[in-house]
Amino acid sequence: MSDVALPPVRGTVDGEGRLITAEPRLAELNARAGGAVGGALAIPQLATLARLARRLGVLISRAVTVADGEDDIELWVRAEPEDGGARLTLTGWRYRAGRQPEVGEGAAYATTSGDWTWETDAALRITHLSPALAVRAGREPDTLLGKSVTQLFDLTQDADGGFPLLAAVAEQRGFADQRAGVRGSNAPYLLDAEPRVDAAGRFAGFTGSARIADEPGELEATPTPARPDLTAAFGVQIDRALRTPLGKIVANADSIHAQADGPLKGEYAEYASDIATAGRHLMGLVDDLVDLQFVEREGFTAAAEDIDLADIARRASGLLAVRAEGRQVRIDRPAAADTLPATGEFRRALQIMVNLVANAVRYSPDGGMVWIRLERDGPIAAVIVADQGKGIATEDQGRIFEKFERVDPSEPGGSGLGLYIARKLARAMGGDIVVDSAPGQGARFVLTLPAR
Amino acid sequence: MAMEPPEPSRAGDGAPRLLACAAAAGRRVGNRLQDAIDDLLRADDARLDDRQRAAVTTTFHALVAIVEGDLREHGAKLLAGRGDVDGAAGLADAGKSVSPRLWRAGLARDPAFMHELIARARLDLLTEVLPGAADPDPDRASLLPRLAEHADRVVADAAMAALVADNRRRAGDPGARTDLPGELHHMLVWWVAAALRGQAGGDGDVAGLDRALTEAAQRNLVVHDEGARPEAAAMRLARALDARGAALPELLIEALADRRAALFAAVLAHALAVPFEAARELMLDRGGERLWLACRALDLPRDAIARIGVMLAEADPRRDLERFADQLDMVAAISVETARAALAPLWLRPDYRAALDALGGER
Repeated sequence: MSDVALPPVRGTVDGEGRLITAEPRLAELNARAGGAVGGALAIPQLATLARLARRLGVLISRAVTVADGEDDIELWVRAEPEDGGARLTLTGWRYRAGRQPEVGEGAAYATTSGDWTWETDAALRITHLSPALAVRAGREPDTLLGKSVTQLFDLTQDADGGFPLLAAVAEQRGFADQRAGVRGSNAPYLLDAEPRVDAAGRFAGFTGSARIADEPGELEATPTPARPDLTAAFGVQIDRALRTPLGKIVANADSIHAQADGPLKGEYAEYASDIATAGRHLMGLVDDLVDLQFVEREGFTAAAEDIDLADIARRASGLLAVRAEGRQVRIDRPAAADTLPATGEFRRALQIMVNLVANAVRYSPDGGMVWIRLERDGPIAAVIVADQGKGIATEDQGRIFEKFERVDPSEPGGSGLGLYIARKLARAMGGDIVVDSAPGQGARFVLTLPAR
Repeated sequence: MAMEPPEPSRAGDGAPRLLACAAAAGRRVGNRLQDAIDDLLRADDARLDDRQRAAVTTTFHALVAIVEGDLREHGAKLLAGRGDVDGAAGLADAGKSVSPRLWRAGLARDPAFMHELIARARLDLLTEVLPGAADPDPDRASLLPRLAEHADRVVADAAMAALVADNRRRAGDPGARTDLPGELHHMLVWWVAAALRGQAGGDGDVAGLDRALTEAAQRNLVVHDEGARPEAAAMRLARALDARGAALPELLIEALADRRAALFAAVLAHALAVPFEAARELMLDRGGERLWLACRALDLPRDAIARIGVMLAEADPRRDLERFADQLDMVAAISVETARAALAPLWLRPDYRAALDALGGER
């Protein structure tokens, strides 16, 4: 979901594809991509949209993901033709911090578990509903289609006196567990929905489900942690509740640091930079907490896909290249021709590799080297990530895989959850992570997965 | 280690069977090679993607199941009423669907039937992936709900019928309609009846079974209402709206923005005065050239054609937006008369057109 609270960012591109004007966040993003105002727009996805809008002479809207150093930013871009060039409007600005969205993450509102489905447009008119749901209401579909959703559902306030559905409309997001009656039926229902978003990132309505709240506790406002769908929804709630304000803090702090609205005293600009860094750190923590909730869920499993660990190691190295370069750390990654077939979930294996390589880079001395080696031992495929850091004492080697433990507690950054999550994920895929190190001799982390 | 000689009796039974299996496998290799070569030589734009293949086969089996369920139920009732209890039980036993048999036996190679199935599956998939565009005014209802409250009752009723028909199609309603055009539904019903008769084998009262299946099939045909199909409902709405002049591009664009692909095809068909199926074909052609000509034949301005092209391309990555951008100025410069002349075959009688196609496109 886009962060609707952030103000849109504008820029203009001329007929030659040059970025003529750019508000600070766009100018900075373009600069980090190697461009400058007055020169060619350096962000390929935006340049393509500006060119298409100019050539076609109509507005083009699209969701794009652009790289910003080691992070990805999800943006909604509108490109409108103007004076032979194009005017760009960017909204959303959601940092993903190198993390891929969960498959079906938005669906944690339990839409899949619903017994009946319904859909509305942005004005909350019903555009689709399961015929069986109409039957529950004792109505024919043609007496409900096109009508307001409140003609079908009698919404009930939650414990805080609010209506989750209406709050979700205001914030253009999904909602879970809206209590409601179906008019014409006595049973209490629970509604869940995801927002539909159009090409321009605008709210276009809800796709939702309804189920009978037949368990006595289900209508209680306090969720019981034992219910997995509520726990999942809780993770999403954390994600959403924290990410939106953090995104705002980071973006505003970045703008202040860039002195977008005029010159500032140097020390204030530096404070703003510290705030943005701290905000990004907290967003990383939110990612970890969401993952933590995921791996600790009862019955958590990973998919068994055919993967190539060599490819995954190369991708992880690529993702961390910028960070490593900043420290002049060299990553010696597997050659392009190397392969190491294994079984595991691609996304999760990549997440583990990113974690291991990022740790290795973090603990490497400036100018150091990180080695990634591949080995196959019978039914086991192994990737070894070795660094030249200060190493880990034997007595600490078990501890670092515990929750909230750190390889080096005196080092800044990190939540202490990364290795715990990585090992849980590896074990869920039938593998493991082990460490082999001694103080002063660097560390070797070995990820093993079933070979194929 | 000494090998035990095979038992004479098993060797005697097994050898001819093995030889027969080997011969059959040899034929299959030949057939598969031919299929692989056909597939290799097929133009990319003629090849269905995986989602389309899945949608077409699912639709095929679902349509057969709808008709099969109906014929089994009513055929069995008729047989039971006439005292043939065993025959009724045999027909009512839905343990083995006739669908795989019909697929193999040639129904899946019937050009008219499969043309409709494939086009319908592609249009339904397009509807799913159209990105849509919400109204800038969030309180304004979307197209069909708004039209369903139109002051003109004819428009309002047609819009409501379109909403209901779309809803039923999307829900995969077990309310059991094939939503096929009359002739194709007719053909499907008789194929299913014949397959059910074949499944029963030669046992029992075959003449009685024939009579029961015939009556059940005729009953099914009588109640088939092709006007209730989403395609027909969309055509009725297009006729009721009768958009002309500036209202036409507006309606076409809004239909796509509201993710109503069938309504887009219907409005286009009505404006061009061609059948729904012809407009649907123009719309589904990924190259798009004939659709752009149709837009020009209706005197749509460049801006409207651009917006239609962008929405279709954003829905389907196999459509080439860059190529469309290259063509757009040229398309916009084509006169209405030139466009109509280029599309002239559209207005020929379908049978005449098919005959011309069969003769090698001499037109």
